[in-house]
Amino acid sequence: MDMSNKTARNLFIFGSLIFFAIFLAMTFDTLGKLDQRAPNITQAIDDGKMVWHKYDCVGCHSIFGNGTYFAPDMTKIAARKPHSYLKQFIMDPKGVNSQAVMPKLGITSDEADKLVAFLDWISKVDTNNWPPKPILATAAGVGGKPLTAGQLVYQSQGCSSCHTVNGIGGMSGPDLTKVGSTRDHDWIFGHFKDPQKYVKNSAMPPVTVSDEEIGQLTAYMLTLKEVTK
Amino acid sequence: MTMQYKSQKMAQNFYTFAVVLFLVQVLVGVIGALQFIWPDFFFLKFHIIKTLHVNALVVWLLTGLMGATYYVVPEESETELWSYPLAQFQFWATVITITMVVLGYIWMGFDPQANKTVFGTLILNEGREYIEAPRWADILIVVSVLTFLFNMFMTMWKTKKWTGIQGVLMVGLLFLALMYLPGMFYSKSMVKDQFWWWWVVHLWVEGAWEIIAGALLAFMLMKTIGAKREVLEKWMYIEVGLVMFTGILGTGHHYYWIGTPKYWLWVGGLFSSLEPVPLLLMVWDAFRTTREARNVSNRAGLFLTVAHAIFNFVGAGLWGLIHTLPQVNQWTHGTQITAAHGHLAFYGAYVLLVIAMIYVTLPSIRGIKDYDPSRAYAAFWWMTISMVFITMVLTGAGMVQVYMERLMGLDYEAVKANYNLWFWIFRAIFGAGFLVGVSIFVWDYFTLKEKAPSSA
Repeated sequence: MDMSNKTARNLFIFGSLIFFAIFLAMTFDTLGKLDQRAPNITQAIDDGKMVWHKYDCVGCHSIFGNGTYFAPDMTKIAARKPHSYLKQFIMDPKGVNSQAVMPKLGITSDEADKLVAFLDWISKVDTNNWPPKPILATAAGVGGKPLTAGQLVYQSQGCSSCHTVNGIGGMSGPDLTKVGSTRDHDWIFGHFKDPQKYVKNSAMPPVTVSDEEIGQLTAYMLTLKEVTK
Repeated sequence: MTMQYKSQKMAQNFYTFAVVLFLVQVLVGVIGALQFIWPDFFFLKFHIIKTLHVNALVVWLLTGLMGATYYVVPEESETELWSYPLAQFQFWATVITITMVVLGYIWMGFDPQANKTVFGTLILNEGREYIEAPRWADILIVVSVLTFLFNMFMTMWKTKKWTGIQGVLMVGLLFLALMYLPGMFYSKSMVKDQFWWWWVVHLWVEGAWEIIAGALLAFMLMKTIGAKREVLEKWMYIEVGLVMFTGILGTGHHYYWIGTPKYWLWVGGLFSSLEPVPLLLMVWDAFRTTREARNVSNRAGLFLTVAHAIFNFVGAGLWGLIHTLPQVNQWTHGTQITAAHGHLAFYGAYVLLVIAMIYVTLPSIRGIKDYDPSRAYAAFWWMTISMVFITMVLTGAGMVQVYMERLMGLDYEAVKANYNLWFWIFRAIFGAGFLVGVSIFVWDYFTLKEKAPSSA
């Protein structure tokens, strides 16, 4: 390469400074936006953060996926488990669950309340949809919500042998993950009754259930607007 | 190669401290590996072991790099250290501070309540990964590093040689010192806490430390095979330049999911994907220079130098690349895949770097003209094969975790205790293999001497 050492050196120094300046500008922009992406921090939440630090929780756990992978990630724990359970577990893990790995650290009742308040705050931060909801568990309806009537029709008719929703299902027919944002009610309802009328040469058989059930299935399709995360 | 300036032997103090801590780091690492199988094994619980494991790592690499600098700067400046007593003071201050911090962690293992808040900061352990050291220790560490930098700068000032190698080395060390500061204040918001925390962690290992590695790579290639300084320094500038161009904005790959705006997905994904480029260039540089070599003065030293370049690229580069895009990282983030990357990256980029520097400089410090390299090679192969398998095993565990936990929705504990058990068993076995390698290295370090004249 026909570059002098001086040119290479200047490229290193000034190039680095330019990239660092861009990074600083982005940092400034980001810091201005962070408070809108999370709830306000009360005294209890701040105290709870100190409890998190005091017991070196990050020595086994992680938050936002950062930390140690010896024990579960805590990002959404307060949204998934009852707070009363969390408090009792934190104070005496093996007392709640004899299989628990976590040692009893002597966390007081007051500290546990604050820690749960802190974890609750963490669970409400806008993390760009991380961690993603597990697609199989969501499809199986064990994600914490009962199946809707439309989802039950979808299951009983075996739609998933040809169609995919959120990554689960067959690929013979179109992916329905976002069908709700591309088709309206009348199109979907009519299409179920007579697919060939709407899509020429469609190989899909008509759905032969009652109009009420087709309505429920249509309502379910209309909820499919973006990838479940 | 012989040592030209008496004060260069200061390097050996730091090397010794580093080597001892390396042994401690790997010993507790094996204990931690066993605790994945038996959580109640050993009287210190896992969080204390893990804190000791990563802190010993960071500290021994830092002291190793300081030792290397104490050797390089007088050599490059062609003069004695500005102040040998100041260097001695800095050494002992560092040893005492680190020892107190370690004792604090262990104390906390016996009595978690001992980690009290004094003047708003925790007295034994700040509870932030990698930078657990409490604030009082942070301040002492900064003072130690500033003393060190001042001594180095004054040494260079004596002769004003300003060579490229020591210039880049100093830029790396100065950047390192500056990037410790964002870890030294409290943020109420965990989002901001992690935002600044990554300044320290990422801009150290994928910024400052890689700059230091670039400078030391050039130095070692020059010393082991007498490669031409001009060519080495030009490529060094290009390599460290590319490290900064990709690495600074590459910090964005840590800002995908911590509560920061979505634009980091684009910025982090793009720039961090380019981070392996300078590391590949370093590999090419090492091979090109070595191929031209006619006169190798220290074969084991050269071997380790090239091995460092290769595993820096594989561990820090490739194993980072596989999960750096947000589309992939969304599923892999926070799994054992990260741990796999962490292990091979630190080993290739920095463990081998410090070990290579020790084998390149220690013979001349001890006045050894030619040493028997068989133990150096044995240590290298034990460590490297073990670490490659640890990385494979952790990557496998991470893949199982991604499928079962992230895609299927099984409970974390179920995957860890049942489906990944064999991975933990193999990791512990290869961990023991790594310990064998480290023990051979430590033994060789303390006993390295002139090769017995052959009878032939």
